[in-house]
Amino acid sequence: MTMLKINGTDRQFPAGMPQTLTELLEQLGINQATVVAEIDGKIVERQSFAQTRLSSGQAVELVRFVGGG
Amino acid sequence: MDKLVIAGREFDCRLLVGTGKFASCELMAEAIEFSGTEIVTVALRRVDIENENDDILSAIDRSRYLLLPNTSGARDADEAIRLARLARAATGIEWLKLEVTPDPYYLLPDPVETLRAAEILVKDGFVVLPYINADPILAKRLEDVGTATVMPLASPIGSNQGLQTRAALEIIIEQANVPVVVDAGLGLPSHAADAMEMGADAVLVNTAIATAADPAQMAKAFKLAVEAGRIAFKSGPRAVGKTASASSPLTGFLRD
Repeated sequence: MTMLKINGTDRQFPAGMPQTLTELLEQLGINQATVVAEIDGKIVERQSFAQTRLSSGQAVELVRFVGGG
Repeated sequence: MDKLVIAGREFDCRLLVGTGKFASCELMAEAIEFSGTEIVTVALRRVDIENENDDILSAIDRSRYLLLPNTSGARDADEAIRLARLARAATGIEWLKLEVTPDPYYLLPDPVETLRAAEILVKDGFVVLPYINADPILAKRLEDVGTATVMPLASPIGSNQGLQTRAALEIIIEQANVPVVVDAGLGLPSHAADAMEMGADAVLVNTAIATAADPAQMAKAFKLAVEAGRIAFKSGPRAVGKTASASSPLTGFLRD
């Protein structure tokens, strides 16, 4: 089984893992222009999303800006 | 009005505005417009995977407003540093409102962790604006490690209590060599004017504007109050007296 931990929650990909961060965001329906990402605690720059390959068991954090004081 | 200078950058407006708690992005955008602000704070949170996410950045014109990401939610220095680096990766800018608030009830900032994080972030090239309790010694220590401002609280975040820390704020303002931004707890424009009359360089307001029945008009009221307070401070206010001091001449009365 292929699995990623996304924002703290395990997520299975029975039909096959997204190959790259860009593909993952597309599958999740998230606009990549609004997101910052970390994989296993390491920041991934937005311009490298398309080249960043994913492998099962990785922890992915997807973060965005919200209103705050 | 004289310019506010933070880390070598000039600003005409001395009101910083937070973007939390607005009922909609439209109301927020209108309020920041009316506030005249040039610096708006934002927070970083996890994307909600299951639901639609509002894109707050699309409602903020970054050619007009400097985005000041905060590290809210951080409980220690390490969490704050992680958020800081994510924010920098997202915006490409290094300005940061550093806040480390381990206690969710009063949201008071942790001075030890804030100082520790500030030291690391300054060395890492960040322009650090730390949110602190109104502690004059801590303010000096932060200035010594190179923070761009100090941002002492007036009262707990979102409490609308106004200047509960007045005496300590006066000492911080007197001693600081970096701009003092009074942050948190300002509930009314008069609180903001009061802080500015004391000599604060700027104030940061969020809750009082965002939760007002008419946020845009309240933003305008804060703008005017901040301007009035600054102009009054620069005009040299006179000391409080114990007795009356007649404004009209005490001579030439129509009596014998």
